[in-house]
Parts: sequence; C-alpha cells; structure tokens
Amino acid sequence: MMKRHDSLQGALPLLVLKILLRRGPLHGYGITLHIETMSDEVLRVEEGSLYPALHRMEEAGWIKARWAVSEHKRRVRMYEVTAAGRRQLEAEEGRWHAVTGAVAHVLKHA
Amino acid sequence: MSWLSRLANVLRTSKVERDLEDELQFHIEARIDELVQTGVPRHVAEGQVARRFGSRLRLREASRDVKIVSWLESLLKDVRFGVRMLRKDAVVTGAAVMSLSLAIGACTAAFSLIDALILRPLPVRAPEQLIYLEGVFSYPHFERFREAARSQVELFAMLEAQRRRQAVFPDAGGAVENVRPQFLSGDAFHILGVQPAMGRLLAPSDDVKPGGHPVAVLSHAFWMRRFGGDPSVVGRWFTFDDRAFQIIGVADRTFPGVEPGRLVDLWVPNMMWDAEALTDPSTRWLRILGRLKPSVEPEQARSILQATFAQFRREEASRIFQPDEPRDRVQHFLNSQLYVRSAENGPSALRRDFERPLWMLAAIVGLVLLIAASNVANLFLARAAAREREMSLRLSIGAGRGRLIQQVLIESALLAIVACALGLLFAAVAGPTVVRMLAPPHNPAYLDLRVDWRVLAFLGVLGALTTMLFGLAPALRASGVAPIGVLSAASGRLTSRIRALRPLVATQVGFSLVLLFLAGLLLLSFGKLTSTNLGFTKARLMLFTIESRELPSRPDDPDETVMGERSGSGKQAHVIGLQLLEQVRRVPGVQRASLSEWALFSGTGSNSGIRLPGRALDAIRPLFLEVSPDFFETMGIRLIAGRPLEPRDAEPETRRAVVVNDAFARRYFGGERAVGRVFDRVKSAATVQLEIVGVVADARYGSVRHPAPPLVYLPFRGFRTLQVRTGGEPAVLVDTLRQAIEAVHPSLQVTDAQLQSTLVDNNMLRERLLALLSGFFAVVGLLLAAVGLYGVLSYSVVQRTKEIGIRLALGAQQLAVVRSVVTDASITMLIGAVGGLAGGLYLARFVGTFLYEVQPFDFWSLALPVGSLLCAGALAAVLPARRAARVDPVVALRYE
Repeated sequence: MMKRHDSLQGALPLLVLKILLRRGPLHGYGITLHIETMSDEVLRVEEGSLYPALHRMEEAGWIKARWAVSEHKRRVRMYEVTAAGRRQLEAEEGRWHAVTGAVAHVLKHA
Repeated sequence: MSWLSRLANVLRTSKVERDLEDELQFHIEARIDELVQTGVPRHVAEGQVARRFGSRLRLREASRDVKIVSWLESLLKDVRFGVRMLRKDAVVTGAAVMSLSLAIGACTAAFSLIDALILRPLPVRAPEQLIYLEGVFSYPHFERFREAARSQVELFAMLEAQRRRQAVFPDAGGAVENVRPQFLSGDAFHILGVQPAMGRLLAPSDDVKPGGHPVAVLSHAFWMRRFGGDPSVVGRWFTFDDRAFQIIGVADRTFPGVEPGRLVDLWVPNMMWDAEALTDPSTRWLRILGRLKPSVEPEQARSILQATFAQFRREEASRIFQPDEPRDRVQHFLNSQLYVRSAENGPSALRRDFERPLWMLAAIVGLVLLIAASNVANLFLARAAAREREMSLRLSIGAGRGRLIQQVLIESALLAIVACALGLLFAAVAGPTVVRMLAPPHNPAYLDLRVDWRVLAFLGVLGALTTMLFGLAPALRASGVAPIGVLSAASGRLTSRIRALRPLVATQVGFSLVLLFLAGLLLLSFGKLTSTNLGFTKARLMLFTIESRELPSRPDDPDETVMGERSGSGKQAHVIGLQLLEQVRRVPGVQRASLSEWALFSGTGSNSGIRLPGRALDAIRPLFLEVSPDFFETMGIRLIAGRPLEPRDAEPETRRAVVVNDAFARRYFGGERAVGRVFDRVKSAATVQLEIVGVVADARYGSVRHPAPPLVYLPFRGFRTLQVRTGGEPAVLVDTLRQAIEAVHPSLQVTDAQLQSTLVDNNMLRERLLALLSGFFAVVGLLLAAVGLYGVLSYSVVQRTKEIGIRLALGAQQLAVVRSVVTDASITMLIGAVGGLAGGLYLARFVGTFLYEVQPFDFWSLALPVGSLLCAGALAAVLPARRAARVDPVVALRYE
C-alpha cells in the first residue's frame, strides 16, 4: 500500500502545516477556506484529497486532532500542529524553496 | 494515537466511519451555506458541492483505510524490525527460545497429561450424572445394589482387574494374540449413551444367562488397529478364553472406555465371566458405576446403597469371623462406610496412583517456566538498556511511547510464538514418554493426549502470559527513557539499570533452589529405595507365569485338599510341578529353579487368621504363600533356624510343616525359639494345624517401602509362577525355557515371562517418575539460573569497564576488583538462596508421602541443592570475574 512519507511529498501537507501554524487550530473546512483566500482562489483544494491527507498527517504525528463544538453548535474536528509537525514543516519548507528555486532557475536560464 | 486505540479502530470500524461521516458532513454543509450566502440557489449549490466532493463513499473508504492500514503497516514493520533485532543476537535469541520452548513444552505436556487423566469428562451423554462406588464387589452384591437403588440410580458393573487375555482371530491362521477385554453389564452402553459405529452394541438381553452370550463389541481403536476398519469383521467368530465369540459391532470412535489410562480392545457381557463367580458373594471382581436419575443427589443414592452395604457386611461378618475374633476388627468391619464418588471423568486406578505426582510435576514445570521467562525478561531488560540510545533517538524524532512499547512487545511475542510452536513439538514427544513411565512396559497405560482446543487454548494463554511476563516490564522500561538523560550517557543511570536486574536474578536463583531441593529429596529417596536390602537377590531371576486348563493352578483351598476332598487334582499338580522343575534344571545356563503360587512383588497375596495354642485369634492376619522346597535357595532368602521345606512335607498328613519368616517369629514368639512350635490356620471352611520347621530371613513381599509382613511359607500343591535363576543374562534363555516348560505336560502354557527385577521396579514407578523428571527439570532450572547470573554479571562488568579501569589505574589490586564483582553476585545469590530454601522447606510437606528414609533437614537433603547451586554460581561468575581482572586501564579509559 502507500508509503507514508512518499505520499506526503506534495505541496498540500506543506500548506496545511503552514496555515495551522499561523492560524492555530482549524477544522478541515477552515483549512480549505484559508488556502483558497490566501492564494486568491488560485489554489483550489480538492476536498477529495484534503481529508485523506489530513488523516495521513495525523497518523504520521505531524498534526493532532480533537473534537470540538463550533459556534453553530456543530461537532467539528479541529486540527493542530505538533512539535514533530513543526520540524517537518521546517524541513519541507527548506526543500520546497530549494526545489522551486531550482525550477525557477532552470526556467529563467533555459 | 496509541496502538490500543488503533486496535479499537479495527474492532469498531463503525465508530471510525461515523466520525468521518460527521467531519465530511460538516464540511459539505458549511460549503453549501457559503454558496447560498453568495446568492446561489440551495439546490444548485448542493449539486455543485456534490460534484466537487466526488464519491463520498470512496472518500470515506480512503480515509478509513489510512487509519487501519497504517496500523497494520506499522505492525508489519515492527515485526520485520523485531525479527532483525532478534536475528542480530542469534545466540542469545536461540538460547532464550530453547529454554522458553522447553519450559512451555513441558507445561503443555503436563497439562495434556492432567487433562487426559484428571480433568477431561468422559465422552458420554451427561457425564456429570455418573457416579461410582468405591471398592470392588461381587456379582450377587451388585445385583442387590441395583435392585435397592433402582428408583434413584441406574447401576451397571464391569470387571475391575486389568489383565490381558488370549484370543485367536480367524484371519490370523491360529496365532494367539493378547487382547484387553472388558467384561461389563449388558445395559452399560445404553446407560452411558454410547452409539455403535458399526453393527450393534451389547444390550440387556446379552447379559442374562451365565455362559450363554458369546458376543463381543470391539473398540473403535482396536478395530482400526487390528482390522484396519474392515466392516466385514462384524458377524465373524473368534476364539477368546478358549470359547467361540461372535463380533456383533464396533463402539463409537469417541468412546475409548470409561476408565482413563486403560485401553479396552473388546467388551463382552459379565455373564461370560466365570460362572461360579457370578453366584459367589465372596468373589469380588466388579467395579460398580451408575447414572443418577435426574434431580437425584449423590447423597440420596448413597444413603440407600449404604443400607444394602451394611446388610452385606452383617452377612459376611457371621461367615468370616470366628467367635474369638477381636471386637475392634468386627466393629470396624460392620461400621465401614460405602463411598459414592463422581464418575464424571471416569474412575481410574491410574489416576488414583498418579494424580498427586502429576500435579507435583505440573508445579515443577511451572517453576521452570517462571525461571525461563525471567531469564528472557533478563535478556530483554539488558537489551533494553543497550538500546536506550536507539529508543531515545526514536522518541526525540517524535515516535510515541506507545509505539516503542508496541515494538518491544512484538519482539517478545515473536519469541513466544516460536517458543510455543517448538514447545508443542516438545510436548508431542514428552507426553507419550511420560505415559510410558506411568505403567510397566508389559501392561502399558493408555492416555488420549490429543491436541484439541483445550491444549491449544492452554498453549495460547501460556504464550500470552509469558509475553506479558517477560515483555512488558522491559517494554515499559525501554520506552520510559528520558532522551536528554540517555543521550548525554550519564553512567549513574546505567548502574541503576543493572540493579534492576538483580531481583530477577535473585528470583531465578530462588526458584531453581526450590526445584533443586525438592528434586534432591525425591532423588535421594529413590536412591534409598533402589538400594534397599530386599532380603532376596533379584538379579538374573526370571519369572514364568504358567497356566493350565486341566490342572488347578491354584487350588481354591489347599487345606481342603489335605482333608482328602479334592486331593486328586492337587496331587497331580504337585507331581507335574516336580517334573517341571527337573526339566527346567536340565536346561544349560539354569542354576536353580523353584515354584510358587505367585511371585514376590506380583501384587497378589492370600492371608488368613491364625490362633496360637492357648491364645485368642490374632488381630492381624499373616500372609500365606505356597512354595516348592528350593524356593529359598533360588530366591536367595537366608535360612535362620531349623530346616527348609522338603518334598515330603507336601505329603498329606494331619500336621503340616511350614517355614515362617523372621517377622512372624518375632511377632509371635519374641526372642524364643520358633522352630517346633505349632499354630492353627483358621479359615472359614476348616482349621488346620501347622508346625514350624524353619525360620527364614525377612524378604519384602509386595512393597519396597514396607518391611516384610509376617509370612508363612507352605509346601506347594499348586503353582502359577516358576522362578529360574540363571548364570548369565536370563533373557536369552526365555524361548528355550518356554519350550521346556510346555513340553512337560500338554496343558501347560506360559502366559508371561518377566524379570523379578522388573516387578520390583514396577513397585517404584511413581517414585521413579518423580525422581527422574524432577531431577531433569532441576538441572534445567539450574542451568537457566546460571545463564541468567552469567548474563547479568558479564553485562555489569562491561558497563563498569571504565570504573574498573580507573580503579586499576589508581593502584587497586586485581583481586579487589574481582572481589567487588563476585560480592555483587554472592549477595544476589544469597538473597535468592535464602528465599528458595524457605520455599523449598515449606513445599517439602507436599512431597512428604513420596519420601523414603529422607528428611528435609537431613545433611544431604540440604547439602545437595545448596552445593550444586554454589557450583553453578561459581561457574557462572568465573568468566565475568576473569574479564574484570583483565581490564586494561589504558584501553578502558580510551574507550569513552
């Protein structure tokens, strides 16, 4: 089946971690909204991939979840970054910059 | 998320799904609300959102899979890692697996033995309703019991004795085979609720007329073994007991008989037993069983049966007791109770003898298991300490504590599973070996040691418990490390870890000393038993059991033959006996030969009351044994006074010459001369006067443990046993002798040939079993404890290398360093030894009945276990101490 670390290679976990770190605990819907607003609706989160990703990250121990009650008295699941998630974010962010920098460099000079 | 809640996820997936459903539902509704707020009509918004989400079901599956699959994945990973870790320490792992599988196997074997002999209910309908009456009864008594209690309990009876008999099957071309028959009531199968596998079983109508129902039912095992399950045997005739019998059916496969330990080949009706025995109230040969009617308590049935029993006793008392019989004995006889026992697991002579020894062995192997498990715990603790860096590293990169515990538990579970599998193999070998030790080789015990769900469940529980026992503590310990403390490698923590191993080692030492102590007691007892002076020489002495159809091998009452009533046949047997002896003595290699009614240690005996002139009937009844004149010389029984028996002593006279043993002479004549004295042998039919012509030394009669009882040797008139003393190995002469014996008279037949030493050894089967097995497991326990001690000591030397190096560098003597290592070991051992000795002395009371001339506080009882423990401890300490002494300060200090 899927290899845990490989399946988190994309940018989605990076964004989720960053947003949770900046904004504090959020529910899944909140995370989508933030990604969409911050990227001026350029990045559109596939709901179909968000939740599996969240659960994988939870399994990996990067984020943790708890049940809370929303302002509309709904039971919602709130996600929060853990210490391991923070370290992961640092590493991922560095790698992301390196990769995108390299890509930009190639684009520029090709 | 801990692995426990992951496990819970697997078991309760619906809860996980509900949570996911909630989470997604919230998201969808929130998204729709948002769209509606921006002016999109609700139904359009719903469609839009649904499209965006795709298949909700697939989404849910994907999310749930992550949770369960990742748990399974981590489990698999841990298993792979565990196998790698265990293989890295192949020697240590191998030793742990071996000791654990030996212990688990021994426990499993003990369980399957105890289950087969003691715990397992009979495979019949409602076994809890079954009862049996303690004792052996005559057929008339059985019939009266059955009538008296008919409304409370359905009684049936079966032959109590286990003896093989001879049969000739039509397909064998006349060859004689030994079969194990069981005579029983015609309605027994019906009462038990046993079904036939083939043909029909015995019915009440098969058990009506004495000698009139020559039918037999085969046991399924015998049918398979002897006839390969051939259905055509039903209806065939065969010869059994020199009579023709017809096979009418085969009993169900699940029904091996009602007596655990006893194998039955075929069942025949009681009515086919000796016709005289069926009407004689004084011939006791039946065991009585029964099924209580619904809602009848055993006590109700007992009180009715007791009244009948008391009536038998009164009738019997008037017949067997003389007017001058001691009052106490008569009262005791009349007041004796009838005991009704549950027969749920079947009455069993084997259980009576071996129930306690088997439980003791179970306790012993349980101790071995504890020692083995603490050894493995030891190993894991030591390894946990060695793996502190690995553990703390994993903790610091974010692994949960639960994850680390899971890892260690999986390693111990792997070990336990392998050990359980090997243990099952070991048990498959050990179980039958022990069964063979329960009974003499010529009459083996039979126990159904199948591997069923009970055994597997026991094994599973054992495996799980040992995993917990030796896995959990190290797991908690390993995962409880503080990353900072370990990564900076504070040596103080390491010594505290070695200290943590000490209680385990002390416990091991204690347990193994308990084992050594108990095994020592049993071994010393067995040694004393085997070296007991029996009063006769058992070496190179062959015994032949001889039966004859025409000659009364044992006249019912030899005294009556003297009175002239049946002297013809008695006299004939005597003459043939003398011819037989002459023939046998001519066989080359035979030194001496003699005849007797039965062999010493054959388990048979005949006693009757005696009356000395001018005295009342004596309170004890001496044994009487008919022997040929040269019996004493052949057996090596020393003559003390007077003369041995002579051929002319057997001539009919009014006064008969006898030889008595020393115990008899001491009891009745004290220090006075016994030769020339007369006494009366009092039997129900007649009183015979006997004259003592000689006194021989005591020879143990039927038990190695007990001194010889008063015994009177009579001149022989009939015989059953031939004793042959050979110059060399007696086994090579058996066939020659058999031919010589059977050539003397056409009716003579040798039914058995065995060594006198075998009969004596069979008398000590329980003691031998206990001594051998407890000795074996004590050695195993000692080895395990020594390995444990060695492991901890060498580990502590490795950990203290730096400290030792510094001390040596500062000028400490090597001796002082060695002493510090040894002192550590000695204190641990001392604590364990004191505890073990206290436990051993406490437990000694439970083996008390099996001890012989050995006391727990005897010098050797204490010296043997303590001495062997000291030796093992010293051996275990030598290598680590040497390593400590050889530490090179320079190398040790460079090490860090």
